[in-house]
Amino acid sequence: MSINQLISEDNKQVTISIDNNFDFSLHQHFRDSYSSCDLKNTTFFLNLSKTEYMDSSALGMILLLKDHADNIGGKVIIQKPNKSVNKILEIAQFHRLVTIEK
Amino acid sequence: MLLGPIIYDSKLALVVDDSKMQCMMLSVLLQEEGYRVIIAHDGACGVAMYIEHQPDLVLMDINMPIMNGYEAARQIKKISHGSLAPLIFITSMDTDQAFIESVDAGGDSILVRPFTPAVFKAKIKAIQRVSDLYSQIKILQQEQQKDEELAEQLLTGVIGARNYAKDKIGIVKKSAAIFSGDIQLTALCPNGDVYILLGDFTGHGLRSSIGAIPLAETFRTMTKKGFLLNEIIKQINYQLYDLLPADLFLAACFVRVSSNTGSAKIFNAGLPDTYILSCDQLNKGQIKYKIGSIHPPLGILPELLPKTKAGIYAIEKSDRIILISDGVIEARNSAKEMYDIDRLEQCIIDSDFSQNIAVLIMQSVNEFCQGNSQEDDISIIDVPCNLEQEAIIATNNNNDKNDYSIEETIDQTTINEKITDDKTIDDNILAEHSASDDFTVVDFDLLAPPVWFWQLSLYGERLGQVNPIPLAMNQIQAIEGSGEHWHSLYTILTELFINALDHGVLELSSELKNSPQGFVEYFTIREQRLAKLIDGFIDIQLSYHLLDSGGRMVIKVKDSGKGFDSLKAFKNNSISLIEKKTLSGRGLELVNQLTETIEYQDNGTLVKASYVWDQNNS
Repeated sequence: MSINQLISEDNKQVTISIDNNFDFSLHQHFRDSYSSCDLKNTTFFLNLSKTEYMDSSALGMILLLKDHADNIGGKVIIQKPNKSVNKILEIAQFHRLVTIEK
Repeated sequence: MLLGPIIYDSKLALVVDDSKMQCMMLSVLLQEEGYRVIIAHDGACGVAMYIEHQPDLVLMDINMPIMNGYEAARQIKKISHGSLAPLIFITSMDTDQAFIESVDAGGDSILVRPFTPAVFKAKIKAIQRVSDLYSQIKILQQEQQKDEELAEQLLTGVIGARNYAKDKIGIVKKSAAIFSGDIQLTALCPNGDVYILLGDFTGHGLRSSIGAIPLAETFRTMTKKGFLLNEIIKQINYQLYDLLPADLFLAACFVRVSSNTGSAKIFNAGLPDTYILSCDQLNKGQIKYKIGSIHPPLGILPELLPKTKAGIYAIEKSDRIILISDGVIEARNSAKEMYDIDRLEQCIIDSDFSQNIAVLIMQSVNEFCQGNSQEDDISIIDVPCNLEQEAIIATNNNNDKNDYSIEETIDQTTINEKITDDKTIDDNILAEHSASDDFTVVDFDLLAPPVWFWQLSLYGERLGQVNPIPLAMNQIQAIEGSGEHWHSLYTILTELFINALDHGVLELSSELKNSPQGFVEYFTIREQRLAKLIDGFIDIQLSYHLLDSGGRMVIKVKDSGKGFDSLKAFKNNSISLIEKKTLSGRGLELVNQLTETIEYQDNGTLVKASYVWDQNNS
């Protein structure tokens, strides 16, 4: 499975890491990785350090995650995108919507 | 969706066995299960009967004279290609080899003798269940295919067929599925500007194209009504936000090629860089500007982010604008390498500009991918910046000036004829009187009374936010009906309003626009002043008078500015236009061409113009 999920002890920080390709085939698993985390003010870290490629449906999936986070007063932080993934985030101007940590 | 009923009791089974005894036994069991049965005693005969009767189930012995069961099965499967009739081998050879060979020959199952009637019936039921499922899927698939083809026809009709200047603007597209998530639109604004949109909806297939129809309708309608690019983008963004689910959005680049002013406005929201290329003899294929994405794709946020507006770029007639979707850059070859930006730019630089660049890029991508399957939709648009000739004719068609070009038609005398004498400008009290002395100026007060009158005054903040021209055009067309002849009026109104706003209220000097750099600076300062606008006004009045055939629109635009020496402006303008030194002033010249009369009063803060259209001439 190319999605890994790690929840901190206080349940307030959820780290989702994605290996290889981040595309539509992960749709259901990606949704499952956060949908049950509905504690107020949860921070979702989306770790992309092992993501090699991302398509536009992945951008859509990130927006769904952001919607979920917004609904529970939480936030989304994208971590360590590689050069080509960052380029895609940049073209979509996603740094204006979510925090991106290089 | 309603599936066709599955009828169990009228199915036909074909039994192929050289033993009459076996055939009889299987027939009885099958009939007990509700099948009608036909029988063949060798493989060749079995194949013939299969072709003739198209049974729903085949039971096949292996060892038979003339043609054995494997060969018969192969032929049947070859003929039935993709059909659902399951084929079961019945044999007494209980070996691995027999099992493997029967599957290889296309058998769906194997039943080894001896078996009890109960086991046989269970086997038939099981295989029939799979077959029913298969046929349901098949029906669904066919329905879907039909729906998709129909919807695709509809989309192509709505979108592609109604594009403007299809023969000049090169559009190349290649979709990854029946439906393309990419959309290419072009439309003509009433003043002759051409609007171009390249959009890429998330993903591909039917799901990604549901937003295409509202997008195309909004883009076309608003362009035709003469809304500004930013207004159209704002509306489309809101509409998509409202209509589409959160994970479906539109990466898009909007371009306005302005034929009259030699400028392009470009707004890139989520697409790869758009290119403006110099394609004259000196700078063949030089990349002049790269316009990167400045905004997230549309449909994500309810409103556009503040401080993001379309950039303005000075263009030459020989320039070309290239728009691409990310499918171009991300196209992969069999080694999983991406086509990428470097190859794209190399292809652009190397290209021979006598050809359609979109086609060249597509060829280059195809060569690179070498038939590797396409993951995303690919679109390329090549916009030549010399679209103006056609556009000018479109706005000018009732003036019989089809061979319009700035160099040829500038004539000092015609300008002076149209402008009243110096006194009108220098002394506005005298002007009121002297105007009527000039034979080319219509005294508006002496005209027959108007059949209607319309007025809009915009003050302060609203002046910076509201574009009154579409409102005025709506009024005109609501009362008088639509028609080609209003295109010129649109141009006149727009130019007069923009002049009043820019040079009157905002006090911008058009001298700034004399260089490409200044041109951009001009629009930057304009944006800043507009944003801070708190006082000032513009008043627009229209009165419409009927003529024997057609009508006369009298336009007055008054602004709160300090005024200017309008005659000098006209003269300077025409001289510099002749010498082709200026990037500004073309608007005023255009108005002069389109109007019957034009007259500045009150130190240039009031402009009166009249426009006549003739039914017999349009």
